[in-house]
Amino acid sequence: MSMDFVTLGGNVLGTIPLGDIVLYVSPFNLFLFAVLLGFTLLIALSKPETQIEATMHKLGNTEVTVGPKELKQRRFLSIICGIASAGAMITGDLFNFTLFMALVGILNIGIVSAVKQTTVLNSAFNYGLIAMMCSLPLFGGAAIILASTGTLSLMVLSQMPANPMVVFGAVLMLIGILGESGVAPFFASKAEMFRTAGSPYIVIIHLSSLFIIVRAVEIMLLVLW
Amino acid sequence: MSVLAQYVPQAFINMYLPAIYAGLIVGFIATMAIAMKREEIHILILTDLVGLAMIFVVSAVGTDLAEALILPGLVVELAETLAISEILITREMRIIEQNPRRNLSKSSSLFPQPFALNMEILNTAPNFIALLLIGYGIFLTGFTGGAVAGGGIVLYALSKKARGLPVLMLDGIAGVSGISWCLWIIGFLLFFVAPQYWLLSLFLAACGLLLKVASKVGLIGLLMREDIDKE
Repeated sequence: MSMDFVTLGGNVLGTIPLGDIVLYVSPFNLFLFAVLLGFTLLIALSKPETQIEATMHKLGNTEVTVGPKELKQRRFLSIICGIASAGAMITGDLFNFTLFMALVGILNIGIVSAVKQTTVLNSAFNYGLIAMMCSLPLFGGAAIILASTGTLSLMVLSQMPANPMVVFGAVLMLIGILGESGVAPFFASKAEMFRTAGSPYIVIIHLSSLFIIVRAVEIMLLVLW
Repeated sequence: MSVLAQYVPQAFINMYLPAIYAGLIVGFIATMAIAMKREEIHILILTDLVGLAMIFVVSAVGTDLAEALILPGLVVELAETLAISEILITREMRIIEQNPRRNLSKSSSLFPQPFALNMEILNTAPNFIALLLIGYGIFLTGFTGGAVAGGGIVLYALSKKARGLPVLMLDGIAGVSGISWCLWIIGFLLFFVAPQYWLLSLFLAACGLLLKVASKVGLIGLLMREDIDKE
């Protein structure tokens, strides 16, 4: 039995052949793509919120301020992060998916790279280390799938029966995706990264990993079944 | 492996499984070393070793598509290493800002301070290695050559900056980047307009791409240094 696009994402509305790379458009992918682009647009237009922190041993509050230059850089990086995640939603190619995933990982670090809180920088450092280590299973898994099937196109892969090497490659890739997006076993460092000012820009860190996990599940089902 | 058997030489296919095992074992040893080390700068360097193991596994495939995976993989590794080391430096600077009197050596393994070493090899070796990389990159041409030559330029700029010397290459590099675009486009046009000159257009495009990628990688390195100086 092979899991096809109709079971997972509804009727295929069409394909976009770009030479070697064939994109397929199904309602599922289109919905994820449109939502992410819409959110990216909201980020581009919205004003950042400021953060109020309770002061230790006192009754007053302190306002965490962020300079306009830093906010500009953060907004730019979060827009790129949104576009990269949207690309990961619509792509029909395993290779492009890994690239978008790695790009989202780097941008997540970049968004918080200039904050003043040392705890946030500390967690960004730890998250970056995990992301770097997980590029081994991410790219390695994609390469093993390529070696055992001869293709990286999801349309072709979904028609092929899975052999043990493909299963091994897919499991490696899943570990890589989990680490690069910083979910489930690796979330401990990433949770601290949000605790800084400039909210709508910071939220893309969270949103991109959520969406990418949803897409990764679809891709795993296509490759394995 | 059955599909690739018709495109890849038998010798490569025989090496496939040993190469994958080697890559995974190197990755495992590196992660074990990371688990044992406590100093952050060492962890960062060991993490790069895991990245090299990734190149092992990807290059084991040995086809053109695999090369297409290796190059972005290398670039991603480079970018992540740079980003994380910048974060480490920023964090150490903030910690010093907050408490300038604290004894650094107790808590951190990183000294964001200039070294006062005066050794002959520190002056000559980076220049020599940079020259070697740029020469090899020009010999390779194309995307790979551009990446290698760009690495050489970055190394040169970094080693000059680290010693506190001024680097004034930024404008020149931007100009070279523009010229290389023209070379590339002319090569492409010629390829379609006059196919009999395919060798000329191939070389135009390859040299353009070489300059383009080399200057891009060089620019990234230079811009990152400029940012640190402003702090």
